[in-house]
Amino acid sequence: MEALSPFELEVARLLVETLHLEDVQPEDIVPEAPLFGGGLGLDSIDALELALAISKVYGFQLRSEDKDNLRVFASLRALSQHVAQERTR
Amino acid sequence: MSQDWARLPERGNLLVLRLIVWIALRIGRPAGRALLYPITLYFLVTAPAARRGSWLFLRRTLGREPGWRELFRHIHCFAATILDRVYFLTGRLRPFDIEIFGDRWVVEQAMSGRGCILLGSHLGSFEALRAIGVTLRRFPIKILMNTGHNRGITGFLNRLNPDLAQAILPIGGPDTLLRVQESVAQGYMVGVLGDRVTGGERTVRVRFFDRETAFPAGPLLLAALADCPVILFFGLYRGGHRYEIHFERLAERIALDRCQRQEQLVVWAQRYADRLEHYTRLAPYNWFNFYDYWQEEA
Repeated sequence: MEALSPFELEVARLLVETLHLEDVQPEDIVPEAPLFGGGLGLDSIDALELALAISKVYGFQLRSEDKDNLRVFASLRALSQHVAQERTR
Repeated sequence: MSQDWARLPERGNLLVLRLIVWIALRIGRPAGRALLYPITLYFLVTAPAARRGSWLFLRRTLGREPGWRELFRHIHCFAATILDRVYFLTGRLRPFDIEIFGDRWVVEQAMSGRGCILLGSHLGSFEALRAIGVTLRRFPIKILMNTGHNRGITGFLNRLNPDLAQAILPIGGPDTLLRVQESVAQGYMVGVLGDRVTGGERTVRVRFFDRETAFPAGPLLLAALADCPVILFFGLYRGGHRYEIHFERLAERIALDRCQRQEQLVVWAQRYADRLEHYTRLAPYNWFNFYDYWQEEA
């Protein structure tokens, strides 16, 4: 199985902790698997919680008018790349 | 199946709606209201699942088996509010007597400039609220709406009033609630209907009319995450040209602990269900969930 990069692992930890995914180990998340719907099966409430946690930790807001949102939320890898680009801390 | 509601009275709407809108706007409300009788009869005959839903609901709330007159009255009430939506949406409020109770809650909220969740239901007409909020432009209101299953109707309403279409937050996609939270943060009052489970979403079990049933957890979780007040609203149709809009405050804020989240959600959901039951008793024929709400026949 493909290993996560250190930053992907960091984001995965935030995700697992924020959403209380008790049965999921951060390092087991498949980086290209969809986060919502299939895959981890997250929903719109999870997305909001995650977005709020990301803004708190990394100092930037995920904006809904951002056309890339569907891409950003598509997978752990896409999310991590976006956070790495936009973070202010 | 509870999902059946998606195909219920809304099913015949597109054809009927065209007719209603045309008559309502060109000929007038008395003519439109005269047509409600054949339209009600049409629904009563051609929508057995909706009829069954009505029967089950009325039996529970009236405490006895309803007859044809009561089923007719129930669907007629629904049809009457659809007709009036046309006037509300186009800002023609003059023929109506709309009495507002508890308006201080929304007025104070609007003055504060802070956003909130306006938690409503499928009891009566939420369009009365939209009319007041958007058409008269007194409150910055947006409505979270499922536009997927009734695209035809939404398209129709958009044409009636493009300003109102702007005020819709469509449900769909992982960022739906992010959009709601942003709107609240911008000071909008976001209307959400909290009594209908559409499948696949998080729910809480509450007692409603002496029987346990599932309510959506989403609106309350949303309010907790957005850290904003929750104001309840009920737009009751009281017959003729009379509407009553009731506002109440449910919570200044909903705080959820990590470890007791579910239990605390149940408490808030039960308070909402209790108020919904109160207003449903006041106006039982305003109940517009035409399906087996308590899953008595599941």
